[in-house]
Amino acid sequence: MNNDPSTFNPKTTIDKLRNILTEYKGRPLDEDLSGMIENVCLGIKNDFTKGDDEIEGTLKNDELSEESKDILERRKRGRRKNDNIIYAIGVGLSLVDRDSKIIWANKIICDWMDFNDSPVGNYCHDFYHCVDVEGGICPYSELFKGEKGHIIEAWITGNSGKRMRIQHIATPIANENGNIESVLLVTIDVTDREKFVQRLLLLQQLGKVMQGTLHLDKLLHLILTCVTAGYAFGFNRAMLFLVNREQNALYGKLAVGPSSPEEASHIWQEMSKKYSSLKNILEELDYSHNIDTPLNTMLKLMVYPLTDRKEIVAACVEEKKTIIIRDADNDPRVTKEFKNILNANEFVCVPLMAKKEPKGVIVADNVFTKEPITDDLVNILTMFANQAASALENVETYKRLEDKMDQLTRTQQKLIRSEKLVSIGTMAAYVAHEIRNPLVTIGGFAKSLSRFKFEDSRIKTNIGIVVEEVKRLEKILNNFTDLGKSHIPEKSSVQICEIIESTCTLMENFFQEKRINLYKEFGPEIPRIMVDPVQIKQVFLNIIMNAIESMPNGGDITVKIRTVNEIIQIDIIDTGKGMSQDALQKIFYPFFTTKSKGTGVGLAVSLKIIEDNGGNIDVKSESGKGTAMTLSLPIN
Amino acid sequence: MATVLIVEDEQNQRLLYKEELKLEGYETVTAADGKEALEKVQEQLPDIIIMDINMPRMDGIETMGKILSKNRKIPIIINTAYSNYRSNFMSWAADAYVVKSSDLTELKNKIKELLAKVS
Repeated sequence: MNNDPSTFNPKTTIDKLRNILTEYKGRPLDEDLSGMIENVCLGIKNDFTKGDDEIEGTLKNDELSEESKDILERRKRGRRKNDNIIYAIGVGLSLVDRDSKIIWANKIICDWMDFNDSPVGNYCHDFYHCVDVEGGICPYSELFKGEKGHIIEAWITGNSGKRMRIQHIATPIANENGNIESVLLVTIDVTDREKFVQRLLLLQQLGKVMQGTLHLDKLLHLILTCVTAGYAFGFNRAMLFLVNREQNALYGKLAVGPSSPEEASHIWQEMSKKYSSLKNILEELDYSHNIDTPLNTMLKLMVYPLTDRKEIVAACVEEKKTIIIRDADNDPRVTKEFKNILNANEFVCVPLMAKKEPKGVIVADNVFTKEPITDDLVNILTMFANQAASALENVETYKRLEDKMDQLTRTQQKLIRSEKLVSIGTMAAYVAHEIRNPLVTIGGFAKSLSRFKFEDSRIKTNIGIVVEEVKRLEKILNNFTDLGKSHIPEKSSVQICEIIESTCTLMENFFQEKRINLYKEFGPEIPRIMVDPVQIKQVFLNIIMNAIESMPNGGDITVKIRTVNEIIQIDIIDTGKGMSQDALQKIFYPFFTTKSKGTGVGLAVSLKIIEDNGGNIDVKSESGKGTAMTLSLPIN
Repeated sequence: MATVLIVEDEQNQRLLYKEELKLEGYETVTAADGKEALEKVQEQLPDIIIMDINMPRMDGIETMGKILSKNRKIPIIINTAYSNYRSNFMSWAADAYVVKSSDLTELKNKIKELLAKVS
């Protein structure tokens, strides 16, 4: 018999156990495996009991002999060695007796369970916090029911503050009679495996959710939340840049994550309270949340030209490759400016690739926890980025489709209005013709009558009235036939200010007569544009005439001309009666008028002319305050 | 004294033109449609023709075409309630285009002007 307990060789036993557990990770526990663990555990049990028997034997002598003291000392050393080795394999172990009291536990499980004193003598359910265990099945009591090696899992927070996923495996230890004497509980840390599974699950779930998201802001938020979600990728911060092909630049769009370590611990505490699983995160994702963070505000100011390869994000897009920076301070690929903004020494840039076309970049780091970014994580992030990119492409396509639909609807409305105008015009022309012929006869004869001499002067006056009224009717008819006419603008290079000037000169008498003050504000360097000068002049006449008529007791007319983004904008503002919102809706409809003597044709024709010349008319009006007409004409 | 052929389907308008032109010192001949106008041109050989466009049986444009194919010398004034026939290229063959109005001054001026050109 070998008296040195260290030569019992617990290391071999523990190595065996370690090998089995390593192999086991991620695999279901089958008969073979549980049998193997059982054997190993028996070995461990022997290690402990054998030595104790020996000491007990020695202690039977009342005096502690030198020899037994020596054995005790060696035993103690052996125990410590044992403990160290058991600690090194990274597995939590405890022995529980038939009364569910803990006989022995290694340091690891005490650390994990956040137990500072020796747990020996405690009930196992107090030690293991069994309330937190999913499903509520106790592996210990299952064993006594004959269920062998039952496995359960739980999330715990160890004394280091690390959140981890653990798995308990119970193995019975029987005496010579085959009765279960105690139970060995093996606890292993499966956080890495769990994270891996969660990530794969995340990729799959996200794929589904993302492909169904057609709102850009929502999608961006979703993508970054996943990159930062603790159970998924768990990056401290994530930033997203999108490629703008028109500007040939990368624009900072959204950043998710805390701006300071204080904020970080606060957010993570909140998160761990709020969400227990990825599903929860996806369900409860609040898209408006966290938008105003300093990080996000800063990111939105970031723009990098794609041609600037010195900037790492631009290089990432252009090279279409993931870039991992381990040491930003000493890496020539990171500019000082970018490093200053990011303030992280290790980070990763992943391009968002959709059908070989880069859509943007995700930048992620662990600036607060300083956790290293593993290659595995980067690989999965790259996979995820591709999915995210194809979702982004969906959103873009959808947006384009929506724009086209809008355009189509607008064109259709325009078409309907102009068709209305034409059909009204055709009818008006027909009616005008039918009325004009008898009018010509009535007026003509009335005029010829006026050549005769009458004794009663009233006859002459009355004939005069007939002639004048017929003239007025004829004038209205001329307007009607204008509606039906197709206006093909005869464009020439025109200076709008000059047209306004000449229109105003034409109306000078009206202004004086109606006591109207005219103010002109012409912007500098109004370019010449290609429009039909005659038609445009008619529009100005119409609008200014309307303005004058809305101010029977005098007032102000202001004409402003300026260039705004490739458009000449002409504002004609009066201080007249204005219009109700209801009237405002209808003023461009043919035959709608608020004037007692109007025909309701002027503005309908004006709008048609401006549209034929590629422009638009906008009206703002307030009852009792006045009306502002804004005409826009494109410069090209 | 010059003879004016008035081609107009509306009776009262014919009467108005007839009276007004008589007062100006012209001989007048009238026709109620294109077919009648063709006959009158053959019979009377007017110095000038005032032609309405919208008429039953044969419209003014067709009538004008037929007259011009036989006699290119008689000036024709198109007189219609529509201004949009101006863009119809057939009407370009006419010597003048006057939109109908209760004020006959423009028409009378055109007649005077065209007759002066011919003689």
